[in-house]
Formats: sequence, structure tokens, C-alpha cells
Amino acid sequence: MDDPFAILGLPRSADLGRADVDRAYFAALEAAHPDKVAGGDEAARRRAELAAARINEAYRALRTPVGRLETLCRLGGIDLDSSDPKRGAPMPDTAFLTEMIERREAIEAARRAGAGALEDLRDAVEDEADEAVAQARRALAGGDVAAAARALVRRRYLARLLDEIEEAMS
Amino acid sequence: MAYSEKVIDHYENPRNVGSLDKKDPKVGTGIVGAPACGDVMKLQIKVEDGVIVDAKFKTYGCGSAIASSSLVTEWVKGMAVDEATKIQNKQIAEELSLPPVKIHCSVLAEDAIKAAIEDYQRKQQAEASAAEEATGS
Repeated sequence: MDDPFAILGLPRSADLGRADVDRAYFAALEAAHPDKVAGGDEAARRRAELAAARINEAYRALRTPVGRLETLCRLGGIDLDSSDPKRGAPMPDTAFLTEMIERREAIEAARRAGAGALEDLRDAVEDEADEAVAQARRALAGGDVAAAARALVRRRYLARLLDEIEEAMS
Repeated sequence: MAYSEKVIDHYENPRNVGSLDKKDPKVGTGIVGAPACGDVMKLQIKVEDGVIVDAKFKTYGCGSAIASSSLVTEWVKGMAVDEATKIQNKQIAEELSLPPVKIHCSVLAEDAIKAAIEDYQRKQQAEASAAEEATGS
């Protein structure tokens, strides 16, 4: 499994900022740039291109705070993009899923209520999504990958809800 | 990704969207989620004399998840509860020609109908034991 932190020469940390990641990305790209080996043989050029592609992929994984947290979970053994019951995204409890259904129904009600009701709903969900990210960060700082994964799954659900609220607003 | 005609049909004209009264002892409610994609599915059945007389669903997810739950509500209406427990995701996936990456949507629909049946059976057992207590037998 690729470690995007290692590819960019970064420590595995939830506390990195976008500036740290950008700096590491450009430094890694610079070091691996195909032009640097333009005079070299075909095989060397291809290796350089491959390295650049891996660096770009690592950067895509790490450029957002959520991407960094999800990557740390994956490196800790829980892949949030997988539905595998053991190593994949953990199932939220029924109470949370019920809430997600009820809040979809609240979108309809808010749309009918008008006068900023959808905006209020959006602000509330945004705050909860931010809180879930903060929880995941705290959990990872404490070495609890499972708790971080649960928080990040909640964030995914809240992000989906947010998309639907924004769609209702447009 | 190309959806099959049947998926598009169920997606554009979903059958049985809505809710049943979850407090009704004849109603079983199943709520399941796909954590990797943030989908959530609620499937409810109403049972009379061992037969599913009504089914409703609400799914917030992709077209395949909506189509899978829509199809299941259509199938189970008029079906005996025992028969409905035998529905398998493979049948759903085949009927809708789901591609491999969307198989988990049919799994979700199978989990939802099973959860709804379990909820109904739990309610029936609770009612039966409450009735026993009431008659003192």
C-alpha cells in the first residue's frame, strides 16, 4: 500500500497544514521532474514520469484536511472507501441513520418554511461536519483509528446531506 | 457509468416511495446504510395474516440504491413474510443488471428488507408476550 506521506517526505501527522503539504509537493515534484533527466535514456525518463504521477496522486490524497485524516485511517488499517465489514468504513448506528432520514425530511419542511430556514439547516449541518472532523483529528492524535473512522463516516453522511441542502437552495 | 434501462425506470418512477407508521405493530421498519458512500435506506413493510400487504421506502443514495429498494418493495407486496426473507441481493442485481461496482446497492436492499422483517417479528413477539402477561397464562 502506498503511503502518500512518505512519497511527499512528510511525517504521518494529522496536524499538517495545506502550506506544509504544498511545500512538500513542489519539492518532491522538483526533485523528480522529467526535464531533469531529459538527457538521460528512455527508461530513466519513464521512471521519472512514473515518480511524478505518484507524487501527484499523493498530493491529491493529502491536500485537504479530510483527505489527510482519511489517509491516516487507511494507513492505520481502516479504508473508508471500502465496504468490507472488518477493514472498511464502519457502519453508523441505527439512531444516526434514522436521524439522517429524518433530516432529509426536514429539508422539504425547511424549503416550504422559506425565510432562511434552509440556510439555518445548512449552517447547523456544516458545524456538525466540522465537529466530526475535529473529533477524528483528536481520535487520531490519541491513536484511536477506529474512533476516527467512525467520526469520518459521520462526516461523509453529513457531507451528502449538505449537498442535498445546497441543491434545495439552488 | 451507464445505468441499465430498468435502473433508470425505477430511478425516474420509483415505486412505493413514502413512509408507514413505524409505531403500528403490523409495520416493520428496516434502516440500513452504506458507510463508504453515505447512502441511507429505509424500507418498511405492513403485514396482515403473514402476508406483506404494503411496502414503502425512502432511499437517499445513488440511482442503483434507489432502484434496488424500489424493486424490492414491488416484489414483496403480496408475498408471504417467510418468502420475503429468502430474497437475495443476487436476484436484485440480476433483475437490474447492476455492474460489479454497484452490487453493494443490492446488498443494501437485501439487508433493508431483512431488517424490516426482523423488526416486525420482534414487535409480534413483544405483543404476544404482553398478551400472555395480560391473560396471566
